[in-house]
Amino acid sequence: MSAETAGTGTGGAAPSPSGAPSVRIRGLVRRYGARTALDGVDLDLGPGVTGLLGRNGAGKTTLLRCLATDLEATRGEVSVLGRNPERAAERTEIRRRLGYLPQNPEFYPYFTAFGLLDYMAVLKELGGRRARHEEVRRGLRRVGLYDRRHSRVRRLSGGMRQRLGLAAALLGDPELLLLDEPTIGLDPEQRIRFRGLVSELAVHSTVVLSTHQIEDVAALCQRVLCLDGGRIIFDGTPGQLVDRARGHVWERSGHPGEGHTAWRLADGRYRVLTVAGSGRGPSPAGAPGGSGDGGLVPVEPTLEDAYLLLTGVDRDLGLEQCAR
Amino acid sequence: MSWHLTPAQAHEYASHRADDVTAMSVEAHIMHCAPCRDLLPGDEDWLAESWAGLRDVVDRPRRGVVETLLASLGLREGTAKLLAATPGLYRAWLLASVVVLVAALFAAHHLPRGSLVFTFTAPIVPLVGVALAYGRGVDPAHALTSVTPMAGQRLLFLRTCAVLVPSLALCAAVALMLPSASTPWTAAFWLLPSLTLVAGSLVLSHWLHLSAASAVVGLAWLIALASMVVSEHSTPLQLLAPQAQAWWATALAALLGAILVRVRTA
Repeated sequence: MSAETAGTGTGGAAPSPSGAPSVRIRGLVRRYGARTALDGVDLDLGPGVTGLLGRNGAGKTTLLRCLATDLEATRGEVSVLGRNPERAAERTEIRRRLGYLPQNPEFYPYFTAFGLLDYMAVLKELGGRRARHEEVRRGLRRVGLYDRRHSRVRRLSGGMRQRLGLAAALLGDPELLLLDEPTIGLDPEQRIRFRGLVSELAVHSTVVLSTHQIEDVAALCQRVLCLDGGRIIFDGTPGQLVDRARGHVWERSGHPGEGHTAWRLADGRYRVLTVAGSGRGPSPAGAPGGSGDGGLVPVEPTLEDAYLLLTGVDRDLGLEQCAR
Repeated sequence: MSWHLTPAQAHEYASHRADDVTAMSVEAHIMHCAPCRDLLPGDEDWLAESWAGLRDVVDRPRRGVVETLLASLGLREGTAKLLAATPGLYRAWLLASVVVLVAALFAAHHLPRGSLVFTFTAPIVPLVGVALAYGRGVDPAHALTSVTPMAGQRLLFLRTCAVLVPSLALCAAVALMLPSASTPWTAAFWLLPSLTLVAGSLVLSHWLHLSAASAVVGLAWLIALASMVVSEHSTPLQLLAPQAQAWWATALAALLGAILVRVRTA
């Protein structure tokens, strides 16, 4: 995997208007008992949307929780919005300017949608009652839940609760917005709405988006970070990630046989990924480049192809077997 | 007045220089005449503020009984909201507390040495309530609330207060119905130990999860009582005797001091 490493995580940050990055991390290590979730992460983040990709257990959620001041670092330096989250007063100041949507957020079921957001707004110390209520109404409108404002949370669908969590994270237009799997349960229309909201906020704010939805990353993110085993293994633009996959993605009409990462497409052809340096799969020399039966045709890689190649997905998933 | 306002009339009205009759005529006219309304300068901020005020009256969520009660006692609206929404105040916990205390009362009246049941449980009821009021695993929305500016000590102490009031009220009501409660003073023997245990768990929560801290303190209390029950040289009531109350008061003062120091430095 080290051969796939593209960056250290400190090179791609766009500076904030003040010149300093919104997030600065050096040598971050976070352990849970004997397990190391983050292992020496270095990272600078500025305004714009940064996508966090990685398998389950790669360290994405732990990284977000460290940034959200929910977890302390075992070792290393973390600076969020120019402040040190280990100091209580600075931590509170960070929290005033932070929006965080945790993975699978839970709520008080007996609250109404309005009541819950109002409660969160009180916890966020937002204004007097009237200004706070206006902000709550704006939040509900932004996520399309205004008509359900008087519904109890327990009566909302999973997607609606997810949108409620998003509205809570967006309260007060935070300077740093951390979203952990934000589009789970959203229908396509809501997903588009979500993208509009996030891209609008990202003009001035720093947004970090952890997701398994590659299409959200492709649509929203100016920068992609890939984590594996608690380390950043790629840091660059989505275009740079795709570039790395050129020459490693093919299609052919028949199954390529055992030992390849391949899956059957809707049109009956097979999409084949070849891992560089693995000694497996077809080489460019072996590809006829034509369109004959069973011949390998090089195709333009997608971000998903690039991600699968980067994380070496074939090493333990056996996609070619799943696809049959 | 002509059929439409002249600019001079509009200016006179807008600058509050029109007499009452003219002003009334202008207002009656502009109710139905958009072009004349447009002649009058609009204060966008005032208008937005007015609409916001109107929306807040029409569209304000209904407050719950507890929140209304707390607000009527003079608490700030935001504080009342936070106190009323304490997870530890779930009906299930309140119901369980009532059941336990009624069982203790029944034991005190009908079983030999039955008053000991209340002695054991009265300081534990508030402790359990506090343990259930804050923290991961007991507060369903903790992942959301724990990264807000109010999270941490401030929210913990607010919720502790929210839980202490009903639990202490319940214990006090039951204590007054005990067979041995000849005066309010003799019925309050459990109060200082109860407050001390809660304060102890709050101090310990600096190093432990609040639930674990409460469990440690509660267990220590039960072990102390149980060891005095089985001992031939002492009785559990010695822990609650007037002389012991002085020690409880001293411990409570020390623990509250530690909490105050922590709140100020938080």
